[in-house]
Amino acid sequence: MKKNYMIITNNPLVPRKLNDEYTVAYMDISYEDVLKEVRNRIHEGHRLLSHPLSGSVKPNETPYKSVMITERREAVDEESLMIIENAIQACRKFVFKSDKYKPEVYEDFQIIDWTLLESAVASADAW
Amino acid sequence: MRLEMGHIYIKDIQFAAESKIEDGILYVSEEAVKAVALEDEKIKSVSFDIAKPGESVRITPVKDVIEPRVKVEGRGGIFPGVIAKVDTVGEGKTYALKGMAVVTAGKIVGFQEGIIDMTGPGADYTPFSKTLNLVMVCEPVDGIKPHDYEKAVRFAGFRVAVYLGELARELTPDETKVYETCTIKEGMEKYPDLPRVAYVQMLQSQGLLHDTYVYGVDAKKIVPTILSPTEVMDGAIVSGNCVSACDKNPTYVHLNNPVVHDMFEQHGKTINFVCQIITNENVYLADKQRSSDWTAKLCKMLDLDGVIVSQEGFGNPDTDLIMNCKKIEAEGVKTVIITDEYAGRDGKSQSLADSDPAADAVVTGGNANQVIILPKLDKVIGTLDYVTKIAGASEETLREDGSLEVELQVLTGATNETGFNKLSAR
Amino acid sequence: MAKLKVVHYINQFFAQIGGEEKADYPAELRVGEVVGPGMALTQNFKDEAEIIATIICGDSYFNENLEKAKADILAWVKEQAPDVFVAGPAFNAGRYGVACGTIAAAVQEELGIPAVTGMYVENPGADMFKTQVYIVSTKNNAAGMRDAVKKLAPLAVKLGKGEAIGASSEEGYMPNGVRVNFFEKERGSKRAVKMLLKKLADKPFETEFPMPDFDRVDPNPAVKDLAHAKIALVTSGGIVPKGNPDHIESSSASHYGEYDIAGVMDLTEETYETAHGGYDPVYANEDSDRVLPVDVLRDMEKEGKIGELHHLFYTTTGNGTAVASSKAFAEEFSKKLKADGVDAVILTST
Repeated sequence: MKKNYMIITNNPLVPRKLNDEYTVAYMDISYEDVLKEVRNRIHEGHRLLSHPLSGSVKPNETPYKSVMITERREAVDEESLMIIENAIQACRKFVFKSDKYKPEVYEDFQIIDWTLLESAVASADAW
Repeated sequence: MRLEMGHIYIKDIQFAAESKIEDGILYVSEEAVKAVALEDEKIKSVSFDIAKPGESVRITPVKDVIEPRVKVEGRGGIFPGVIAKVDTVGEGKTYALKGMAVVTAGKIVGFQEGIIDMTGPGADYTPFSKTLNLVMVCEPVDGIKPHDYEKAVRFAGFRVAVYLGELARELTPDETKVYETCTIKEGMEKYPDLPRVAYVQMLQSQGLLHDTYVYGVDAKKIVPTILSPTEVMDGAIVSGNCVSACDKNPTYVHLNNPVVHDMFEQHGKTINFVCQIITNENVYLADKQRSSDWTAKLCKMLDLDGVIVSQEGFGNPDTDLIMNCKKIEAEGVKTVIITDEYAGRDGKSQSLADSDPAADAVVTGGNANQVIILPKLDKVIGTLDYVTKIAGASEETLREDGSLEVELQVLTGATNETGFNKLSAR
Repeated sequence: MAKLKVVHYINQFFAQIGGEEKADYPAELRVGEVVGPGMALTQNFKDEAEIIATIICGDSYFNENLEKAKADILAWVKEQAPDVFVAGPAFNAGRYGVACGTIAAAVQEELGIPAVTGMYVENPGADMFKTQVYIVSTKNNAAGMRDAVKKLAPLAVKLGKGEAIGASSEEGYMPNGVRVNFFEKERGSKRAVKMLLKKLADKPFETEFPMPDFDRVDPNPAVKDLAHAKIALVTSGGIVPKGNPDHIESSSASHYGEYDIAGVMDLTEETYETAHGGYDPVYANEDSDRVLPVDVLRDMEKEGKIGELHHLFYTTTGNGTAVASSKAFAEEFSKKLKADGVDAVILTST
């Protein structure tokens, strides 16, 4: 059965890890653009399910971000909006260096982003 | 619960043929500790080294810092549910080797971090420049998954710390401190006029390299609960995280939690230190709501007058911190929160990702984005290969003269959010 | 080592020329003279700095001849070429505080010479200039002079030498929005326990990190005479004449629109639409009155419930638009609304 949530991500590992029960919107965009994509969807009535600043590797340090939102559209959720706006603001205070790592490091960034999302998936699927 | 802590001061660490503690000197048999570390077949090799305060030594990438302890009386053993079998700890008698630490290092992921400088400007910021450090660098077997490697290094550190702690079992402590909390009813009767105060500790619980364990349980899967504050002194909480090392609690900080110690200092004098409440910092927003609701509920049920809330980490936990603060204050319980800041390199950005007027009493561990130049040191334990890839650092970090330009973020424990340090900001 | 050179700015009162009656005293340069509070400053400079010139200016003169006063003073300071410029301290004297802030900021900005001033936290000059120049926090009257120069002089010396400036609590300046690290005497947990004890005892305590200012606006008192009031409509719901003639963006708007609705009784599908990209536009496009209620207000106008509907409305899209942009838009069109004699505004969102 299809899950009642969807994942917005720029981490190529995520669509590989999740089967077709999951709705994954994979986009080849920046960390900040993932957050903006999420913001746009919140304006359309989706609700935030996982925290957009999950993980301790900062925006602009890791290039990857996965965020979980509801599949259903309802009235715009103000709390979701507050969290995502604050997260977008936070991106700008970190010096951009996510294009400065050695190639093998990106795989590790993908794994960490995936485990952060995985913990949200575990919580969501407990319902 | 009553716990007697015996302190055994370690003045020096030396490698020797036989492991023992004599006249405050810890002699370590390299062969013996290697054997302890290599009990796990996932670790291919391990090397030990000693780093002393003031030496021109840089340790990196640090995974965990652990203070060796041994349980000499009372239920259970050190690190229950992890090394010792599951049993409630926090009463009886425990000895700790003071002035030293076991430091685990090893590359688990490519952007791993954690620097301890034993001298120079970096040493002013990391608290572990002041301890004698027995450093173990673990290499995994080929093809290991990061999850398995993380766990192997985590456990190897605890095994070695417990092995060293055991050396103190028959010694007489240099100093003894007694920590005692009352039951709810006793406390009401004994200190009817003192405000009832608790410590709310938020535990990092987000995923690989972002986890904490309570009696061996992954903190993501707990609901907020109460502990006797003496339980952490026996290793009830251990670290499984090391990303963005400045504001993560290594196991050493859990064992020596400064809020617990400073509250005990006032216990029976100005406050009745009722208990420690632990909660988590999950990624899933409904988990946050449940945990903060429960934390506030526990504060209310315990009839608390005040709490100190400590945070662990950046971003996601800011939301938990503010939710906890708001909800606890709404129950009429006065709240002080401890956090750190990400105000940007110029100090001009908004420090936290969340805020609320209820958070009117804040202690800060400083701005983790502050840039610091770490001069080249004579010796590196571990490898500098990864320093250039850690959060707050990049390939451009290593400068021509061998010095590193980094943010405080990379220094283990530099902006700790349990109030472990003196660093602050205004 | 040579002493640092300081130019000091004070008003007519502290130059002992006179009080309010002499407030129109024109700006004056006294080379080689140390006047009034300059003495106390000199003492506190120890041997590290000396005042090479004092500039005196009446408070009214400065404010009423702002451009000329500023230009003259800047020219004098440039000619004296000090290492640091000190203004005041102004304590709670409002016009003096604003003058100190204005001239200190100008010296720093236009001449590149570091500047510092001092005043009471509630002096209007403090809020206006604390993010532009270092302002030492003083008591609210001149009895706090000793205390003030004790902080002002060492900070001026540090600035003159180009040394790193510590945190506000260490140096004694007002928090200026820049977070600076420093080492406290006690560890954080101990500070937290102390803070909690104060909070529990209802004693004053000082947070180490003030939460950001929450920009809450108190509602204006209710309009008493609605029947004669001129009402205007303003919206962040993106309602624009059909075709969006000014190309207001569907999100993160960079501008707002002003449109005439003189004679428009009803917004129809053919004439108006929404530019907003953050909500389902179907219902707004079908009938824009749902977001910008022109039809209802025309009815109320007819019924005499309101005086009149203003013939212009202002609109933008709130979707992702920065708070700073929104503020700037509102500041601009609020002036127009006021000039047009509008008594009240109905602000609609989505």
